[in-house]
This record gives sequence, structure tokens and C-alpha cells, in this order.
Amino acid sequence: MDDTNYITMELTVNGRRVSKHCRSGRRLIDFLRDDLNLMGVKEGCGEGECGSCTVLLDGKAVLSCLTPMEKAIGHEVITIEGIGSANRLHPLQEAIIEEGGIQCGFCTPGMIMSGVELLARNPHPDRAEIIAAISGNLCRCTGYQKIVRSIEQAAQKMSSS
Amino acid sequence: MKLHGIGVGSMVYGVGYGFARPDFATAEVEAAADGSLTVWSGASELGQGLRTVLCQIAAQEFGTDYQDVRVVSADSEKTPDSGPVSASRSTYVQGNAVLQACRDLKEELRSLAAEMLKADPSTIEFSGGYVFSTTNPENSIAFHILTGQLHARGRRSHGFGWYDNHTEDVDKETSQGDAYSSFAWASQLAEIELDTETGEVTVLRIASATDVGKAINPKLVEGQIEGGAVQGLGFALLEDMKVERGVFKNSHFSTYILPTAADVPPIDPIIVEVPDPKGPYGAKGMAEPATIPTTPAILNAIADACGKWLKSTPAIPENILHLLGVLPDERKEALSIKDIPYPPF
Ligand code: FES
Ligand code: FES
Repeated sequence: MDDTNYITMELTVNGRRVSKHCRSGRRLIDFLRDDLNLMGVKEGCGEGECGSCTVLLDGKAVLSCLTPMEKAIGHEVITIEGIGSANRLHPLQEAIIEEGGIQCGFCTPGMIMSGVELLARNPHPDRAEIIAAISGNLCRCTGYQKIVRSIEQAAQKMSSS
Repeated sequence: MKLHGIGVGSMVYGVGYGFARPDFATAEVEAAADGSLTVWSGASELGQGLRTVLCQIAAQEFGTDYQDVRVVSADSEKTPDSGPVSASRSTYVQGNAVLQACRDLKEELRSLAAEMLKADPSTIEFSGGYVFSTTNPENSIAFHILTGQLHARGRRSHGFGWYDNHTEDVDKETSQGDAYSSFAWASQLAEIELDTETGEVTVLRIASATDVGKAINPKLVEGQIEGGAVQGLGFALLEDMKVERGVFKNSHFSTYILPTAADVPPIDPIIVEVPDPKGPYGAKGMAEPATIPTTPAILNAIADACGKWLKSTPAIPENILHLLGVLPDERKEALSIKDIPYPPF
């Protein structure tokens, strides 16, 4: 007998209504990657220590590896796939490319989501606020300062547009 | 009390494997009829930007747009063997292989262009998307027209490159001879503050000068310098891999501590360009050279601040308090500055 429990996940993901009958009791990152194929959500540690799985849940940055998927039912999730597209990048994605705030790219989706959340609640952050906002996102490749500068540049772009 | 210190770390680094060990890279390049180029490279992209650099090299050689070059890399089903990406050798060795492949294909393009322009092949140049003879630059052929003709006339559209970077080795008795094909140099300054009460060391600033030969892509080079400094800072202050009977005891980010954005001081990347005669456009390997001097610079800054040398890393508060004699030093690790000739040679 199959004792797997199923659930219907009804929520908004990247601006689209999603209704999916699937296995319950998993983490939000598993639902996003395995069921919705949103591979931009990265799993660096799976234990809440690296920030690479950061997504927005109702506009707040959360670690999708520590969030039970059921918590997202009826709510709105935004992943890196939802903030811009290849021809229309988000200003922070543009800035990351221009400043060189990316190397292997594994931390980048989480880093950008933390930056996007910061810029939404604080459009003109100072350096210390930027550092605080991304201090839960580990990066092994860059020296962080190009990422910090990317967020500064994005803030400028967003306020002048 | 807060003590203040400045330290220097310097290094010389042999690029590649050296000492007669096999050290080669292979590359292929193809010009499509529409003028776009594909480069096959065995060396992999880790985030250091190798694919970008290889695109730049091919675009430079053919005088075309960077956007018209595509790189297929590190896929054993498709790409030739180039050995590992290590020893800071990829731009140097793989870059040279790509350069050779491009120059091999250019021979064919040059002879076809010479036929079409009725000029001497040795006068043919590739620049700004056009191919022309220096004797009559007005009379040019667009690069994509030339490659179109290459295919239409059934000429060779593929170039091959194999670059051998092995050295002859040194004399076993005298240690003199040909150790490495290229040497990179780097020097860094670290400025720190040491809190004698808590044992905490804060790095205030790092200046990192790295001899890269030629910065093919300065932004990527800066990225390597800044990232290297942060890895060296982690090694100096935080990272401590504990292994017992072959098992990592601290294999979590909560137990093996990496620097976060909050731990990193302003870093000044200084690009020094002393061209290497064999490197592609003079470039040298520079990735590890950007990491190596940071840890000694920070430890020397600690010694400058408190007069004592820490013999092992990381300089966590506990070890600093041992060093200062605030905590009993069971491990006898504190070494007085007088015990070491200063400077140390
Ligand atoms: S994967 Fe979620 S914090 Fe590391
Ligand atoms: S770019 Fe590699 S971890 Fe951040």
C-alpha cells in the first residue's frame, strides 16, 4: 500500500497561480525545484547556513530549505526566475553583470533575492545596510565588495528610472 | 586595549606544473559560414571567467566581435583533453592553445583572402570585422563574407592548437635549471586591529598587488584578486578544518566558518602588468598568487601589533589570548618576536 501523503499546493509563484497535486511534507525548495523545475533556487547546504536557497515569501526573504512547503499555500513566492527575464533583466541582475559581482554563480540567485528584498523595503540603503542584508549569504568566490557595489548601483538605477 | 598593526605578505609562484611534469592544453576552433566562431576547450569554467577570456582571445585574433564567439568547454564527449584546471595555468596554457588554434585557422583564411584580394598572404590583416591587405586597406572583405567563401569553396574551416608547457626540470644536485615556464609575483599589505581584551582581530584594509603579466579582462582579474584576499582572510582568521581518522569533524557552515560580507574589509586590487614572453598577449597565471600572500600579511600584521608571532592559523580570539599570555598557553605556541630574526632572513 502506498502510504505517501498527497496535498494540493495552491499558491502564486512568480506571478502565476499554481495548483499542483503532489507529495506533501517536503521542503519549499524541493517543491520549487522538483515540481516546478525552478532550478535557479540553489541548495548549498540544506541546513539554513548559506543563503543560496533564498526566495521571497510574500515579499520577505526566506530560506526555502528550512521552509515547509505547506507554509506557502495561499501565499506568494518569488524566485530568481520571477524577477526578470533574459531580455529584460532586473536592475540588480544588470548591475551584477556590469560590476562583475558574480563568479561561479552558485550564491548569486540567493544573493540577488536578498538584495531585491532589501531594495524593496529600503530603496536607498547605505553600505552597512547592504552588508547586513547579504551577510546571511555566503560566497566563496568573490570578495563580496563587487556584490555590495552591484546593489548600490541597482539602487541608483531603480531610483532614476 | 586596541593594538594596531600593518603586515606585508609576498610570494613568487611557478605557473603550471613545472619540473618536467606533463603540462599541456588542446583547443579547436571553427569558423561557420556566417562568420561566427566556435572554440572547443578542454579546460573547465569554475567561475574564474575562462570562457570569457577564451572568447576574447578568439575575437582578438580574428578581429571580430566578442559576441560572435561561442565556447564549448570541459565536456569529454565533445572537447579535447587539456588536463586539469589547477596551478593557475588555464589562461596561460589553455589560452595559448586557443591562440594556436586560431592562428592555425588564420593561415587558411589568410591564403583565401590573399587569393580574393590578389595580395601577398603575409600582408593580410584581420581587424574590426574586416580582412584586408595592408598594401591596400580600402579594399577589404567582411569577415563573414570570407568565411562564407571558405565554406562555399570547400576550404578548411577548422583550426587546431596544442600547447606544451612542460619544462626541462632542474638539476637534482644543484637545483638549478628550468623549474617553471613562468613565475608570477604578488605582494599584499594588511592593516589590522587587535583587541587585547577579547582577542579579536579585525582586518581594516587589504591592498593586493598581483603581477598578472597582462590583464586580458581586468574586471575578472579584480574578481580573482578580491576573492583570493577573502579566502586568505578566511584562512588567517576563521577557517580550521578538523579531520579525525579521515572524517571531517566540522563539515557544516556553522562549524567551518567562512567569511561573510560583514567580515570583509575594503580590498584594493592592484593589477601589475609585467608581460610574460610566452603568455597569451603576455598574460600569466594569477589566481593562486592572489590568495597566497593574504594570510602571511595578516599574521605579520598581528605580530606588528603585539610583538608575537602566531605559529598556526586561524587567529581566532582564543588563540590570540593564548599568544598574549592572557590564557595559559598549554600548547606552547607563542613565539616571541625575538625568537625569529626580523625580517625573517
Ligand atoms: S541551502 Fe538553504 S541556507 Fe543553504
Ligand atoms: S560566485 Fe561562487 S559562491 Fe558566489
